Amino acid sequence: MLGLVGVLALVAVLEVVSRLGIVDAQFLPPFSTVIATMIGLFGDPEFLLVVGSTLLTWLLGLTISALVAIPVGALLGLSARTYRATRTVFELVRTLPAVALIPLVIMIAGNGLEMKLIVAVYAAVWPILFNTIYGVRGTDPKATEMARSFGQGRAEIIRRIVLPSAAPFIATGIRVSSSIVLIVIITVELIAGGTTGLGAFISQMRVQGDEVEKVYAGILVAGLLGLAINVLLGALERRFFSWDTTTRGGV
Amino acid sequence: MTTTTAGTWSKVGRGFRGAGTRLAYGFGLLIVLMLVWEWATVSFPSLFFPPPSKIFESSMQLFFSGPPSQLFLTEAVTVDVAATVGRMLLGFVLGSVVGVLVGTAIGRSLLLRQLTDPTVEFLRSIPATATLPLFIILLGGTDAMRVAFIAYAVMWFVLINATSGVASIHRTLIDTGYAFRIGRAKMLFRVILPAALPRIFAGLRIGATVSLLAAIVSELMLATNGIGYRLTLAQNMFKMADLWSWLVLLAIIGFLLNTAMEIVERKILAWDTLSRTQA
Repeated sequence: MLGLVGVLALVAVLEVVSRLGIVDAQFLPPFSTVIATMIGLFGDPEFLLVVGSTLLTWLLGLTISALVAIPVGALLGLSARTYRATRTVFELVRTLPAVALIPLVIMIAGNGLEMKLIVAVYAAVWPILFNTIYGVRGTDPKATEMARSFGQGRAEIIRRIVLPSAAPFIATGIRVSSSIVLIVIITVELIAGGTTGLGAFISQMRVQGDEVEKVYAGILVAGLLGLAINVLLGALERRFFSWDTTTRGGV
Repeated sequence: MTTTTAGTWSKVGRGFRGAGTRLAYGFGLLIVLMLVWEWATVSFPSLFFPPPSKIFESSMQLFFSGPPSQLFLTEAVTVDVAATVGRMLLGFVLGSVVGVLVGTAIGRSLLLRQLTDPTVEFLRSIPATATLPLFIILLGGTDAMRVAFIAYAVMWFVLINATSGVASIHRTLIDTGYAFRIGRAKMLFRVILPAALPRIFAGLRIGATVSLLAAIVSELMLATNGIGYRLTLAQNMFKMADLWSWLVLLAIIGFLLNTAMEIVERKILAWDTLSRTQA
């Protein structure tokens, strides 16, 4: 309730500041204009395609990141030797900001979907990877020993004990990565010329220069996507892992 | 993140304790990978993947072939690396200060927290990089624009962690402070901030990573210097070895930044068990 008051107050301030000319409308159009523009954009099939393209890339990027990071993370979590041997390489590789790869990847893969996915996956595998490692390492040894004494094989133990016990951690990693994938994809669309997507839309509207409200509207839509993704993944995590208390309120 | 050390897992580690094996484990794979890369790219030359020896050669040329008066550093280091690192640090500090101040204020007051919660939740959901065009519209292609953009990106992570850190301080701690009638300033600097510090540091650590990322992104648009600018330049001139040299340098800068943050955190938070188990 109070939160709504806060939102309305901010909206009112933005509106008044622009209407009274305290900040030039060229830089800050009235908030009502921005909202009207945004609603207008949602009625434009071309814009919906642009947003759809970003969302599809996001879904692909997150799926690929999970498919790469979970098996590798499980392997590294199960084998202390492999983990120690690969750690330095991972530490070095992951500190490179993924966006710096954009120029290189454009040269190798062009400026289409593959390029976006390569950069996004490079950035997003780490949270899932490290959470999987922690999760797998944290498996209760008593549970695995009991399963072994009941005659379960290694594959069976991994499938029935280790992975379920690591699942809440993996879910947290996926939630963190889901925002990273969105950020990186929008950044790539923004930076790399000649691409499609929401980032490219915002960038083009800035270059055109005469419709600042569309820049604002595009950024608001990006915020709505980010919020929707956070809420959705947070809800899924609670829905499936509410039994697990260790991940609540984490990361 | 919660770290749990399983018994079996730490037992495996006991097998190799010698310095030699530790070095082998630390750098063995790195060296092997470099050798494989070298061998592969020399045997099957690729336009996009120069051999490590060539990247090393071009790094020396690019970074360390300057005049003796500048300690052999080239302009690439004294101008571009300095510009990027300078803007990054300035943006990081500004964003962190604003984040801690605003976050603490919000965390201290339940009313403010309820008022700002949905607004903050929405604003921080906006991918920070999407706002870069806005910063360009408002401030032009200037250094101030880049620093402001970096600070903005960093601020949210610090703000949110400061808010939750301050808000979750145990009531008893604050009541004890009141019971001893300590002043407001003392209350803030001796009780509240120290108690929230572990959480604030979690935000600062993410913020440091974000500051480097935002610095590079800000230089990929309308820049005239900086590492991001040099990356696009190398791309346009098709200088692959230079491009790779910059990437290696960036990984090293990122690694140093992380390490520095870890060291500071361990020093300052030595008393805090949470941070010790996380390290």
